[in-house]
Parts: sequence; C-alpha cells; structure tokens
Amino acid sequence: MGKVFIIAWKEFLATVATKAFILGLLLPPFFMTVAMVAMPLLMNKKAPTVYGHIAVIDQSGMVAPRIEEAFSAEKQQERREQKAKEVKETIEKGIQSAGITGKTAEQVKQQMDASPGMAAQNLIPETTLTVQVLPPETPVDEAKQAILKATGREQAADGNTARLALLVIPKETVKSSEVSDGRPVFKPYQLLTAPRLDIEVQKDIRSQANRAIVDSRLTDAGEEIEKIRGLMAPPTAEEKSVTASGETKINDVAKLLVPGAFMFLLWISVFSAGQYLLTSTIEEKSSRVMEVILSAVSPLQLMLGKIIGKGAVGLLILALFSSAGAAALIMFAMADLIAWQMLILLFVYFMIAYVTVACLMASIGAAVNDITEAQSLMTPVMIILVIPMMLWMPIIRNPNSMFAQVCSFMPMINPFIMILRLAGSEPVPVWQIPASILVGLLTVVFMCWASAKIFRIGVLMYGKPPNFTTLVKWVRMA
Amino acid sequence: MTNAIEIRGLNKSFGPKRAVQNLDLDVPEGSLYGFIGPNGAGKSTTIRMIMSIIFPDSGDLRVLGKASAVESKDRIGYLPEERGIYKKMKVGAFLKYIARLKGLDAAEAEKRTKEWLVRVGLADTYRKKCEELSKGMQQKVQFISAVIHEPDLLILDEVFTGLDPVNRRLMRELISEQNDAGRTIIFSTHAMVEAEQLCDHLFMINKGVKVIDMPMDDIWRRYDPKTIVVEPFDSTDISRPWASLPGVKEMIETDGVIDLRLNDDADTSELMRAAANLAKLRRLELKRANLEDIFIDIVGGSAEELRQELRPSNPAELEEVRRG
Repeated sequence: MGKVFIIAWKEFLATVATKAFILGLLLPPFFMTVAMVAMPLLMNKKAPTVYGHIAVIDQSGMVAPRIEEAFSAEKQQERREQKAKEVKETIEKGIQSAGITGKTAEQVKQQMDASPGMAAQNLIPETTLTVQVLPPETPVDEAKQAILKATGREQAADGNTARLALLVIPKETVKSSEVSDGRPVFKPYQLLTAPRLDIEVQKDIRSQANRAIVDSRLTDAGEEIEKIRGLMAPPTAEEKSVTASGETKINDVAKLLVPGAFMFLLWISVFSAGQYLLTSTIEEKSSRVMEVILSAVSPLQLMLGKIIGKGAVGLLILALFSSAGAAALIMFAMADLIAWQMLILLFVYFMIAYVTVACLMASIGAAVNDITEAQSLMTPVMIILVIPMMLWMPIIRNPNSMFAQVCSFMPMINPFIMILRLAGSEPVPVWQIPASILVGLLTVVFMCWASAKIFRIGVLMYGKPPNFTTLVKWVRMA
Repeated sequence: MTNAIEIRGLNKSFGPKRAVQNLDLDVPEGSLYGFIGPNGAGKSTTIRMIMSIIFPDSGDLRVLGKASAVESKDRIGYLPEERGIYKKMKVGAFLKYIARLKGLDAAEAEKRTKEWLVRVGLADTYRKKCEELSKGMQQKVQFISAVIHEPDLLILDEVFTGLDPVNRRLMRELISEQNDAGRTIIFSTHAMVEAEQLCDHLFMINKGVKVIDMPMDDIWRRYDPKTIVVEPFDSTDISRPWASLPGVKEMIETDGVIDLRLNDDADTSELMRAAANLAKLRRLELKRANLEDIFIDIVGGSAEELRQELRPSNPAELEEVRRG
C-alpha cells in the first residue's frame, strides 16, 4: 500500500506543481476572491459633489421659471432621495428574484446599507446647482463660451460659479405651429453641456428640461397637469407563482443557476482529473517508462496510485472552486442558498463520477500508443459525458419527471443528474439518493474490475491501436 | 550453489507464434549470464516472464527462491529493452521516485541518488530535466534506476544499445563491478564483443528454443577451431612448406595470411615453434573461436542475411566490433 501512495503523491505533484495548472486553475478563483474583497473597498468612494449653474435662454418665456423651480435646493435633495429609494428597490427586487428571502434578505440589505460604497444614495452624486436665466436675445455662441472650461468639480467662493450647461429653448418647442397626421409638431431644443459633466447630472438636467417643457405645453393647451400625469402612469403587475405552500414570488434565476453551477463544478473537476490521468498514462506508455515502473510495482498498484493521485487533483479543483463560490455567497450573505448537506453529497457523487471516469481514462490511456489514437476511443466516452450538459435544462425545469428519474439510475451519468436534481427547488424522493449511490457504487466496482484487466494487458502492448472490441476481448481474456 | 533462477518446461505463445518453447534454464547465484539470439528469438519474452510482467502459458518458474518475481520485486533490478524516463521530471526526482518504489526510505533514496550520479559523472544533472540529457546520459540514469536498491538479481535487456565506445566501456565496468559485489546478472545483447568479454555463462535461444546453455570455457573448448594463424613479413615466404609441418591437416591462404587447420591430436606449442623457424613472421597465433561465427553457425540460414541482422546500427558500434 505504501508504494501506491508514493505513486499517488508523485502523480499529484506532477499535475499540480506545474505552471499550467497553477495559472489555469488556481488563478481564476483567486482573482474572483480578490475581486469580491477589493470591489467594495474600491466602490467605497462617494461620487464627488457637482457645483455649478445651468444657463437658460428661454425664448418661449414659459419654461425658465419651471426649470428654476426644479433646481431649487429642496427639489434637488428630494429627487436625490427619490432616486436612492428606486435604486434600493431595484436591488431588493434583484435579491428576491435570486431566490433569497426572509432573514438572509434582511442581512443582505443591512450589509448593503452598512457599506458606504454600496449604500444606494452614494450612487447618485450630490449636486449644488443653480439656474441662471439669460435674456432671450443672448447669442448662443457667446453664452456657450463659459462652458468650455467648466468641470463641475471646482467650488467657487462667490456666487460666480462655473457654467455646466446651457439650455436654449426656442418658442416653437413649446408652441406648435404645424400639425402632422393630427399630431402637433414641436421644434427640438438645445442642451449644451460641459464635456466632463457627470452622466447622472446630465441625465437629470435633460429630464427636468423635458418635464418643464411638457408642463409648459400642457399649460399652454389649457390642460390640468396632475390629471394628465395620473392618466399616463404605467400600470404595475404583481407576479406570483402558485405552489402547494401558497403563493411565492418567482425566483427563476436561482432555479436555473444553482443546480447548473453544482453540476458544472462536478463535471469540470471530474473531467479535468480524468484528462490528466489519460495524458499521464499515455505519456508513460509512449515514453516507454512503463516497464521500468512495472519492474518495481504491479500494474494494479500503478493504476491505483495514479487514480488516487489524479483524484486528489480533482478534489483540489472541486475544493478551490466550491470554496471560492462559498466565499462569494458568504460575502453577500447568501449562504442560505445552499444546504451544507449538499456539499457532502457533492463529495460522494464526485467520488463515484471520478472513479468511473478515471477507470475509463486509465484503460484508454493504457491501451493506446499515443494521444492521437486515444481520440477515437475517447469519442464515445465524451458523448456520454456530454449528456448531463445537454439534459441540464429539461431536468431543471422538471426535476421529478419520469425522464429525470430514469436518468438518475443510468450508470456513468447518474451522479451528474442527481446533483442537478438535488440542487433544484423541488425535493427529490429521499429513497432515490441511496438508490442512485448504490447504482453508482456498482458501476464503480464493475469499472474497476474491467479496467484493471485492460490496464494490465494494455500497458505493455505496443503496435496496432485497439478498438472497443479488442478492449472487451481483453476484459474477457484475463 | 543455489540458483537465482530456475525455469522448467516454460511455454509462451502469442497467437499462432510460439515465442518460447519448452525452456529449461538454471542461473546460479553470482553468475554473469549472457542471453544472445537473433531478433525475435524470445530473449525479451523470457526476461519478461522472469519478471512476471507477462505470464507463461505453462511451465514452472522460480526467481530468488520465490514462485514469482512479484514476491521479490525489491530484490530484483530490471532494465527493460523498452526503457524510458519521465521527460519532464528532474533527474534527481526520477531516481528518488524509482528508489522509493523499490522500497528505500526517502533519506536513503536521496543519499544513493547523489552518490550514483557522482559515480557515473552526472553529478551536475541532479536538478536538470530528464529530457535535457543526451541519450547516453539517459542510459546511465536508467542503469542507476535498475541498481540503486542494490538488488540480488540484476536483469539488463539490450543494455549496450545506443552507447558510444566510451560509455560501452563504462557500462562494462559497472556490470563487472555489480557482479564482483556478488550479484547475479543476466543481460541480453546483440553485441557479441561485450558478451565474450563479460559473460561467464552463455545462453542462446533461437526461434523460442534453447540452443546453447553452458559456461564460456566450455564454449571455447567445444568451438575450438584448432587453427593457427600465420602471417609472414615477406609475401614470398607464403610458398614455404607450411602444409607439411607436423599435425597440419590443411592450409588456407588469403591475402598473405595463412590459416593452418590442425589435426585433433596436434601439439600446438611444438607446431608454433616449428612455424616460427620457417620464416620471419609478423603474426603467429592460436585462433580462438569467435562468438559471432558460433552464433551464425548455430542459427544457420544465410550468413549474409544474419550478418545484416547482427550488424550494429551505428558506425561507432561497428568500429567497436571491428576493433574488439
């Protein structure tokens, strides 16, 4: 047994202690974690306050007072609060649609508020804007000269603040002189802004100007502004899905993402470990080091050592990615999203899936002379392994359908299917978990038995590459 | 004396081809056994069966007193014909790995790896990757991997292939050294010169059947050509009455060199003295059997065809054979 672990340790190091592995597999979770820790820190910075004035050349004589009113100190503050509230509501909706409810949702909200960067009000820059109404006959070219130098960052000591924007509102913008297809046609107005003006401020000026103009038009047409606004408000819908436990809000994202993530995690770790096992076995054969090793250990010991070594690599990948994922969930206080017993089942199904795939890979690696010959034997294996990927959608949509249940007992793919179903929102009948594990274990036993035979014969067989018929013959021969 | 290897009635077939037929073989402990035979004769198959890498169809096989080499793997050193190294592994790490697999502990493995690398002049390669070594260097590393655990039985398959004359000599010395340390050694080769110089026993197999299995001394005795080679300084001396010297059966002259075939009861020392008196000679020697001639003689078939098969693959080897 000692020799098996010497081989396993060597195989583990041969894969893990390479630049390619470290760069390819360790860095992405590392960067993900760094990004998750660093991002809030970076976002901590509040958007800077914007100072300045908006110049208005109002040829209609109706819009300027409304704009002045819109940019009074109180109105500016009011709008800021309103926007912050909207952002917060959007985030809360997002949390709900991701399937987080109850206590966790509260935690997330608290955390968001506590972090100054994430606090919604900080996403909107503070503004101290005034409105300067210019005489209607002021030449635009002259008025816009002042904008060129403005940045909105500098605060003037006296009332002489920088000009951030210039609104030029022709009379025809408010009063229509022509009608097309029964609709009054209005002229556009000009909004000239400083080149580096904060985008939120720019948006605010535009929307306030639009509103002031529309209000002016309504007044001009003799309509009641508030009545029209009430009529134009878009209707809202309340969406809920009906389940046995009552009506719940829809959480589509969680329904699809979490099981998918679990299966992908399982798939990627099983498959990369299997791939490493295949290439290292082929390398041993093609570099003819195999017989040297076999003079010290038996083929079975070698195979076992290799499977354990590369399995440790797979577990490392699984652990790295799942801990990065868990760190992310804890960071956003969404840990309730996964049940901890899922991780245990993930480990169990990983072992089953890995040993099954590893036995196949070891057999193929031992049977062929080089990597190109392995391709033709790999194709059927790949087709089987891709099935869970293709079944992802139908099984998530209906985790307890007859189809999903049958797939849960199909050797080779059942660990992947079970992980998909278990991570889904509908509970899986409890008896199916031990039953599917049993099917998996029986597959493992069979695969170990068959691959040990293929491996023993294959490792020293050079020449014509075997096909599946030959492999079956080897199994029955020994 | 006990036998390191005992084989009785061993058979192995690959499909219709009978690779080894009814083989009996005893390799005494401490002996240096040479395995020779044409390509595909069954040398490597026999060695692989001894190593329990492939299993015989029938027959008995005992290695170091055990029924199978599996039970005494740590006491056997094996250098296979198909040998390689992990290209991406460092030389030191590779040797330590093999040593650990052969049952040494980590500290001992490290110590012996360093000692051996110094001994074969590869001390500076400890941290180099195996793929950076030349073929000769790789051969040395592979040899170390076979002997690092100080095995009682050393089996070397085609150990001289691909080595230049200098490294051939080194390999010969290393093998003798291992034998002097009391280890039983079996090596298979196509290099007759090395076989002649090294072996104390010779085993020859042809088409799966044993044809020779005897000590080298017996071989020289049995295949004594009973011929004296004479080469006069002056070519006119060729016409002297060589054939009428006492005990000479027949005289064959080629390019100024005379082979005197002797009767079985000829007194060689008396005859050589007489020959020396007959003319001034450049060369006068008792001809010894040549393993290559014996080989071809036994294997039969067209000599040219066999020579083709036996011809060493690179010029350095050819040169070595000619000089040897």
